[in-house]
Amino acid sequence: MHRVWKHILIITPLFVLVAFMGFIIFYPVPRPPVGEMVSARSVISMASKKNAGIYSEALFNESKNCYDSAMTYWKRENEKGIYSRNYKKVSEFASLAANKASEASNDAEKNTSYLKIAIQEKITALKKTDEGLNRRFSKYPMSTEMKNNISRGEILLTEAEMDWGIGEYARAQAKITEVEKILVPSYEYADANLRSYFRSYPQWKKWADSTIAESRINQDYSIIVDKFSRKVFVYLNGELQLTYSAELGKNWVGDKRVKGDKATPEGMYKISKKFLSDSTRYYKALLLNYPNEEDTAIFDALIEKGSLPRSAVIGGMIEIHGNGGKGSDWTAGCIAVTDREMDSLFKIVKVGTPVTIIGSMYDLKHVQIR
Amino acid sequence: MKNKILLGLAAIAMVAVLASCGKKPQVEIDATNAAIAAAQTAEANVYLPAEFAALQDSMSAINAKITEVDGKLFKNYKEVVADLASTKTLAETVTANAAVKKDEVKKEAEGLLNNIKAVVAENAKLLPKLPRGKEGAAVIEQIKGDLTAVDATVAEAQSLFDKGTYMDALNKIKAATDKANSLNAEIKEVLTKARIKF
Repeated sequence: MHRVWKHILIITPLFVLVAFMGFIIFYPVPRPPVGEMVSARSVISMASKKNAGIYSEALFNESKNCYDSAMTYWKRENEKGIYSRNYKKVSEFASLAANKASEASNDAEKNTSYLKIAIQEKITALKKTDEGLNRRFSKYPMSTEMKNNISRGEILLTEAEMDWGIGEYARAQAKITEVEKILVPSYEYADANLRSYFRSYPQWKKWADSTIAESRINQDYSIIVDKFSRKVFVYLNGELQLTYSAELGKNWVGDKRVKGDKATPEGMYKISKKFLSDSTRYYKALLLNYPNEEDTAIFDALIEKGSLPRSAVIGGMIEIHGNGGKGSDWTAGCIAVTDREMDSLFKIVKVGTPVTIIGSMYDLKHVQIR
Repeated sequence: MKNKILLGLAAIAMVAVLASCGKKPQVEIDATNAAIAAAQTAEANVYLPAEFAALQDSMSAINAKITEVDGKLFKNYKEVVADLASTKTLAETVTANAAVKKDEVKKEAEGLLNNIKAVVAENAKLLPKLPRGKEGAAVIEQIKGDLTAVDATVAEAQSLFDKGTYMDALNKIKAATDKANSLNAEIKEVLTKARIKF
């Protein structure tokens, strides 16, 4: 009996050991989803290369969070006994990470190509706006602040274009937004101002037609100064004979109101005096009869209304003179032409020759096309 | 009998030893992480973004491999150690290359900044030579906005350069250079028209 027990005592542990070994060898050990993790990483990496972190930030971050969660669950399962592990959650999160990264990748691709086109369109549109500002308003009186803003906008636009060129669409977009805030309001302000100015066009046309008719009737010379195009048109017998370039007062938009406002007046005038070189600082000059009766009446009305102080002076000494050709509006309100043009003009006009100064010979639509 | 029991115990002990023989290569992990952090400090993410992203991918894969080995009964970190070593070497190379690239960008930005400063200085020198009187004042008035904008952009670029953000500084300088040059040409044209020597 004693011997039997002895055998049982030996065989039982051996049996248990063999059974244990068999269990270890043959029981299916739960395997971690290594392949799924590799795949998730690969998709996340691809999404990252497509800049999903920038162009599909939320989805990309979600995918990374899912991957991190998968890793956390994996580590947590590793702490458990080898046979009691369950990698289901790891697998789920890995697959979720891969799906979200794939979505982020597609999203980023779409957003990138959309941004690429959208920004290019905006750059083109803003360049047109800037071109319009330079073409139509380069000589338009604007505040210093607005001029500074336009210049800043132009530099920023170049920066945005450079960013766009190297594929930095998000950065380009941020700059474009800033440029839009600067250039568009400047353009709109100038445009609205110009439209308001051109409301006087019917009056200008009437004056111009009347001046040309006067030239035809009198069989003589008449002059029309077109402030917007900065041209001096010389008519003879109602036909355009000569065209000169003109430079005006700095604040040439609108009528002259008061002495020292650096505005070029608008109205129908006549040459009241001719000055040779010895009588003027500006080579030769043709003095106009500014202010005429209408100018004085308007000035008085403005004083009466309180729009101008009682101490205001109407001003005068508006001339067509030489020393022009500087490329800017530099006079105090006069019209400057080159000395050569002044010579030819001086020869053909006389005291009494009509000089009509208007905002534009052409209506706004025509001006905008030009 | 006694021997058989001892043999059994020895076998169990061997299994236990084998199961715990692979130690996590913490020193190598820390060294590789430090090398990657050094690459980031060297702004590899700015100057060599693709290479830096590859480094991060590589480390992420190693972390997964470590977790995989951690979960095994018989741990063997040999492959992990090898991967860590190659990633560390790669990180060091990326750090060095980023420094070279950063230096290149710095030199380019510095050169352009000096060029634009020279143009800005020339513009400032030419301004007083513009025709005196109201006509000169009118020209100055016309280009004042541009001058202010260029000055502001150069100042911004200088500030970015001083902060060490050379790439951003470079873009700003390039954008302002065109404007500064066109202003220079404009001023010179006015001076030439007015027959003033410059």
